[in-house]
Amino acid sequence: MTVKIRFFARFRELLGTDIVVEVPKNKGLLDLVKETAEKNKEGYDAIFDEKGAFREFVILMQNGKRLETSDAPKIMVADGDEIAVFPPVAGG
Amino acid sequence: MIAIQTEDVDIGNLIARAKQRGTGAIVVFDGIVRDDDIREMELEAYEEVAVPELEKIATEAKKTHNLLSVDIIHRIGRLAVGENILVIVVGAGHREQAYEGSRFIIEAIKAGVPIWKKELCKDGDRWVPGDHQHGCGTGK
Repeated sequence: MTVKIRFFARFRELLGTDIVVEVPKNKGLLDLVKETAEKNKEGYDAIFDEKGAFREFVILMQNGKRLETSDAPKIMVADGDEIAVFPPVAGG
Repeated sequence: MIAIQTEDVDIGNLIARAKQRGTGAIVVFDGIVRDDDIREMELEAYEEVAVPELEKIATEAKKTHNLLSVDIIHRIGRLAVGENILVIVVGAGHREQAYEGSRFIIEAIKAGVPIWKKELCKDGDRWVPGDHQHGCGTGK
């Protein structure tokens, strides 16, 4: 199955965006984002702490709906999902 | 009108269209690129999420502050100092509702709509860290 990962703002600059990945069934959201971010150490370090957990300020969305980053290890992605990962917003 | 766009905003036209029979007050919020010793500002949005969130904020503002009209136009792309970033036009029967509704909308946008700003400075660029400090260099 395929999942699209979208990074925004600083994360996009470091990791790119609209990344379509082939993933097996029962793929966890945390692992998916980790594996995608691992291609750039600075990008990975911007999103994850030294223990491999999402940094406190990171915002996650699955198909446009916000998720608690602490729930990411137990959330599975589904075919066609769009996962967004971004830093705190600064509009206005 | 709720929109995220690169083009500038015709504020006069929005005001003209906001006037209805029951309108007694229109409040315009115009967020502008401030000269914090920057060259330009670059804005990006997660548009597929940001536009529905702006629509939701407008609906809630209308309901809770009894507004007759709400327009929110947020610009993205590269903007020079002095350019409009965000225009909010609210119409209401009375000034209290219009002022409070406008304030509600801008605070809600800053709190949660997925839009980001990057300040392009003479000595490098920096992403604006949420609703906090602005300006190139330190201590601003």
